[in-house]
Amino acid sequence: MAKVLEVKNVTKTYPGVVALDNVSFDVEKGEILALIGENGAGKSTVIKIISGAITPDSGTIAIDGKTYEKLTPALAKEAGIGVVYQELNLVPSLSIAENIFLGDKVGGNRFLPDIKEMKARAREIMEDLGVRIDVNTQVQMLSTAQMQIVEIAKAVVKNCKVLIMDEPSASIPMAEVGNMFRIVRRLKEKGVSVIYISHRLEELFELCDRVTVFRDGQYVITRKVSEITKKDLIRYMIGRELTEKFPARKIQIGEPVLKVRDLTGNGDFHINMELHRGEILGLAGLVGAGRTELAKMLCGDVKPESGEIFVRGKLMKAASAADGVEAGIGLVPEDRKQEGVFLEYTIEWNIPIMSMKRISHMGVVNFKEADRLTSHYVETLGIKTPTVKQEVRNLSGGNQQKVVVAKVLAADNDILIFDEPTRGIDVGAKQEIYKLMNSLVEEGRSILMISSEMEELLGMSDRILVLHEGKISGELSKEEFSQDRVLELASGMVEE
Amino acid sequence: MSKVVDFCRRNLAWVLLMIICIVFSFTSQNFFTLTNLLNILNQNAYIIICTYGIALIMMSGGLDMAVGYQMSICGVLCALMLTQTGIPLVLAAVITILVSVGFGALGTLLEQLLQLPRIFVSIGLSTVYQGVAYVITNSKTISGLPDSFKVIGQGTIFHPSLTYATILMAIGGIVMSFVMDRTYFGRYVFALGGNESAARLAGINVTRMKYAIGCIAGFFCGIGALILTSRVGAAAAGTAAGTEITILTGVLVGGVSVRGGDGKIANCIAGVLIMGLLANGMQLAGLNTYYQYIAKGAIMLLVMWFDAFQIKRRAIAANKRKEANA
Repeated sequence: MAKVLEVKNVTKTYPGVVALDNVSFDVEKGEILALIGENGAGKSTVIKIISGAITPDSGTIAIDGKTYEKLTPALAKEAGIGVVYQELNLVPSLSIAENIFLGDKVGGNRFLPDIKEMKARAREIMEDLGVRIDVNTQVQMLSTAQMQIVEIAKAVVKNCKVLIMDEPSASIPMAEVGNMFRIVRRLKEKGVSVIYISHRLEELFELCDRVTVFRDGQYVITRKVSEITKKDLIRYMIGRELTEKFPARKIQIGEPVLKVRDLTGNGDFHINMELHRGEILGLAGLVGAGRTELAKMLCGDVKPESGEIFVRGKLMKAASAADGVEAGIGLVPEDRKQEGVFLEYTIEWNIPIMSMKRISHMGVVNFKEADRLTSHYVETLGIKTPTVKQEVRNLSGGNQQKVVVAKVLAADNDILIFDEPTRGIDVGAKQEIYKLMNSLVEEGRSILMISSEMEELLGMSDRILVLHEGKISGELSKEEFSQDRVLELASGMVEE
Repeated sequence: MSKVVDFCRRNLAWVLLMIICIVFSFTSQNFFTLTNLLNILNQNAYIIICTYGIALIMMSGGLDMAVGYQMSICGVLCALMLTQTGIPLVLAAVITILVSVGFGALGTLLEQLLQLPRIFVSIGLSTVYQGVAYVITNSKTISGLPDSFKVIGQGTIFHPSLTYATILMAIGGIVMSFVMDRTYFGRYVFALGGNESAARLAGINVTRMKYAIGCIAGFFCGIGALILTSRVGAAAAGTAAGTEITILTGVLVGGVSVRGGDGKIANCIAGVLIMGLLANGMQLAGLNTYYQYIAKGAIMLLVMWFDAFQIKRRAIAANKRKEANA
């Protein structure tokens, strides 16, 4: 089969980091190639290079036989590269047709496009994909899954030879994934090649022809999916057996410290749960299942419609995040930069901020105590920095995360909610966060951990709750842990 | 050497103020006399007092364009109470301040209700205040205030040019510097300006903070209105119009970012004094109010550009450092 895309000896370094180290792989015409690897393995860097967003230090990209040393986004598009990014990039107030042709000139004159032709062509593309939606519909009226189809249409509109899809199943409901697969297969039949990036290994076996594995910026292997097992894939991805990744801890689970009774909110949301002392409780579920909503309700930031939260037997007044902090519940939020830290302020400013009132006398802050808190937590959590006067934005993701944890701990919170604790943190630092979480529960604190990373859930939790559409669809004890069970429950498939 | 540069950068407004003072001392022999310096402080006292509140709002990430007419309407109200009714002086002053505190809270209330940034709300309010001030005064200047009232802005102590207003300004400055530097309230103000959602999740009651900040700003604005009315000896609907631009520019010159989250009260004082001195210098050079508008606007754009430039420069520096660390 002809090769439609060849990446040859591509290297990309940033000061101090090799993002891609002499990577080569290829994509054949009309195949679906899975590209997998952990966060920081270099997948997104290679996508950015193929789509022209960044220029490699060395190496070449050949598209349909033509070799490029340097691609620009326009050039890549021209050559037939289309990308569907994980987050949607549509203009909500415009119609489907207008979104598909956003930035492209369709007939007409210098100032105005030919709307009729635009609509006709948009209709044609949607029909090609086997989708029946009126192209006049405003994008904001669509479901996430439908928006993604518009994204696909937008990517393939211009003579697309290679379509890159970055975690397309992460943002849509499980039930819609099958439909997306159908569209991808249809593209394949038409001779379009697809590079499919996903963390869900089952999908690869269902959809893809071959799989290429990256690890720590290096190309590891390419295999036909029919000739490889899931276990091997995981080994290739993390370079060692799964179990080593998660440090062991002394498990001592005590009495319940947090009880949630009939918590309801926004639509179908309805939760009953318990968290025990010394426990790491994993919370699984798809995007939109209500995990973050639950976290925000528990820390008081989102007001539940009804229901009660008991902390150590005492009813919590859940009207604002201040109540959560008061009750001893601290959130380590998913969006670290927007919600976790004050990026522009120093470490010594950030760490004591939640404790300010406690260490004040008649409104005046005891700065000696603040400095003591700072140095204590910088030391115990191992925050790597030359000085506590460093602005937090100058720290790495892992160290920023530690600052968030330090801030929460300094306020004497011993029920901790970690929302995606290792998102955007590199492999080495991840393990440090895991060790930190272990020591927190060993000291008698409790952790509710929301995670989309299956290995993290299975490796760290003592117990897993699975959410599906705002309700708990299942609870797994350690003996019952399996990726398949979690996914089944998360997608709402009931099977007993 | 780098320490000197660092010091100058952190206290840029004071350094600029010194330079301007030195330049002025060459043009006028009387400039560096105690009397003149005290006069300058006295002239700017009401603006600087008002600035304490606006600086607080800006440090918390907001922007308020209503101060000018808010001060006018409070001045007019006070003058009306003193001349048209029999309300005793102290009570009239207290009512004026309370009304101004109410206006400050109203700004926050609308900000919360309409879910709009304070700048938009305040522009609307400013126009309403303007209209109301003209309506209740019938577009006339209210004069004939009792002499006892003039003491606040004109009365002196220790030195024939050291007014009570200047002393109030100094006390206010010391208190507000202390509040911003040493109390948790000050920390919370900066937390709001630095990252509002992180502040909320850190257990800070953002809404309550915003009301507190609005009320404090109203309080200082009310005192400013009393001093201004007392000093002028009369009140009219347009008396303090345009003050908001002077204050905003002064605060920006003082190193507070338009994005909030940074700055020192002392530097804001220097910033406003710079604006006052420049206006004064232009007056002496024979440039009328309209030329001064041109200059003020240009300075405002300049400091905003400088602020944007600094934000960008720091972001780039942070990125470089991060890449080097990684």
